[in-house]
Amino acid sequence: MTGPGSPADGFVYDDIRDFLNLEARLLDQRKFDEWNALFTPEGMYWVPLADQQADPVNHLSLVYEDAMMREVRINRLRHDRAWSQQPRSRTAHSVSCIVIEERYPDEGRVVVGSSFMMSEWRSFGLRTLAGLYTHDLVLSGDGYRIAQKRVDLIDSEGVFEPIEVFI
Amino acid sequence: MTQATLPLIDIDALVRDDEVHRDCYVSNEVFDLEMERIFGQAWVYVGHDSQIPDAGDYWTTLIGRESVVMTRDKQGEVHVLYNRCPHKGARIAPEGCGHVKGLFRCPYHAWTFNMDGQLRGVPYREGYEGTSFDIEDPRFSMRKVGRVANYRGFVFASLAEEGVSFESFIAGVKSSLDNFCDRAPNGTVSVAGGVFRVMQRSNWKVFFENLNDTGHPIATHESSYRAARQYSNEKLGGEMPFQLHIIDGNGAPPKFWSDLDLHAFDYGHSYMTAIFKAPDDPLSQAYFQSLAEAKGEETAKEILSVNRHNTIIYPSCSPHTSFQQWRVIRPISPDRTLVEIFTFRLDGAPEELLQRTFIYSNVVNSPSSIVMTDDVHVYAECQKGLETQGGDWVSQHRNAGQDQPYEGADGGVIGVGSSELPIRNQFRAWHQYMSDAARPADGDTGS
Repeated sequence: MTGPGSPADGFVYDDIRDFLNLEARLLDQRKFDEWNALFTPEGMYWVPLADQQADPVNHLSLVYEDAMMREVRINRLRHDRAWSQQPRSRTAHSVSCIVIEERYPDEGRVVVGSSFMMSEWRSFGLRTLAGLYTHDLVLSGDGYRIAQKRVDLIDSEGVFEPIEVFI
Repeated sequence: MTQATLPLIDIDALVRDDEVHRDCYVSNEVFDLEMERIFGQAWVYVGHDSQIPDAGDYWTTLIGRESVVMTRDKQGEVHVLYNRCPHKGARIAPEGCGHVKGLFRCPYHAWTFNMDGQLRGVPYREGYEGTSFDIEDPRFSMRKVGRVANYRGFVFASLAEEGVSFESFIAGVKSSLDNFCDRAPNGTVSVAGGVFRVMQRSNWKVFFENLNDTGHPIATHESSYRAARQYSNEKLGGEMPFQLHIIDGNGAPPKFWSDLDLHAFDYGHSYMTAIFKAPDDPLSQAYFQSLAEAKGEETAKEILSVNRHNTIIYPSCSPHTSFQQWRVIRPISPDRTLVEIFTFRLDGAPEELLQRTFIYSNVVNSPSSIVMTDDVHVYAECQKGLETQGGDWVSQHRNAGQDQPYEGADGGVIGVGSSELPIRNQFRAWHQYMSDAARPADGDTGS
């Protein structure tokens, strides 16, 4: 993971940017299994309900899903009788303003902030969700893995129509 | 909507014993009349007083179309006021939960008010001399809604100054409110963890009808219970962790649902016996211990033996006593309904119990619930279908005419779990409210 211009701790900005883009691309292509495989076995997908929410356990969250609950959600999205997926959600993500916020080279861990917009089309029409991502990434032999993906929607405490796909 | 067209609606022609006319769901005129005769009269849930623990706290919400604010004053009294400045009409409290230092201050011209709405101060006071303005005149204070009732922290209000007492209104389902609180070792509950807000593209009554409808889960929720079972079978050898167990419950066979009991009461209220047995894991045992220590073992057992699924308090809310959920239903228009979901802490119970309550709520009541999404979709499909000329009547025939008076505690009427009794019962109340001549007189409604 070292090369010209790469930092001594091994966290190469371009690799991280490519990883976030790949992750978003997999969601937009509905390659949910491949997307889910980007997580560490204990990895969590978290969409807090509150602004600046400190913790996912002592407060409600819009989503707080481990590997099991993500897979169940994926199973459902593929089911023929997922009524609200007729037609299926189609999404386009844009990820930008990628900033490496914290580096923990001893643990091989890096915290990455970014902004996103996700447009989604489904039975009720087109909508846009927007907010900030915080990726807790672990660098191992075969590249980055997600220890936690935190999605802070700018309207997290607002009114929603159902959210079915991963943001 | 003009007042003149309202009397043209023939309410009697819309409701039969076992079916109702589609206009109940799609007509703007009917919706306007509901706002006046149902939400202008009935006891409507406003909030829980734990949302406003201290003097100066407030919580804003809707009663029908009316923007209201629930406040607490220095004496600890709870008030429900129209959220409107008597000067220029601006809303005074910003939306949501908040705190002011003893006085409301209008953001427009800085008129100030006590938490009970009484006008305290007006800038440029000398300019009012010689006019009919009078700081003591109630018309220059924030107006209070007609009546307020606070039962064990649950605050209800009626816009009408006269009408059925809260005690009579709540009688049938009072035991659900009691059980909701009695399950707490301290005997009190408090709102915790934030509020989920979900918009539905359907009429408010569709949601109420679904709450105790046992005919839909096996069809509507097939994708989610199949998904849970698939994971359980492929990865866990058939074992069902708590979250999957909740999702799986919707796939129970028809006999399971028929064997439940449905209880219906005056004013459109009802409840259903529980779908889930009380869990018996270490956390539940620790919780039982905390309850038994506070109330004695026998009483604790008695409290937990009351195990119910949704209770319906028509026309504004639905508590789930066993998992401390409280859904609030706000009609926005004939085809839009806002549902707000609150989660409660059982005061004095182990903190881990609240964490499990959050997990339940995340799975079932979050806008991202893989269960609820199919409900919301089907409600919208109902609305779209009812807007067509494909038929005028909506069936409520299932087990009609088979309901029996219930001799046990709470009284009311009992039906088998698969009955559409709660729906018919809601429309009996609807018919009664909508026909009631004792509505606010024309001119009092401001139209």
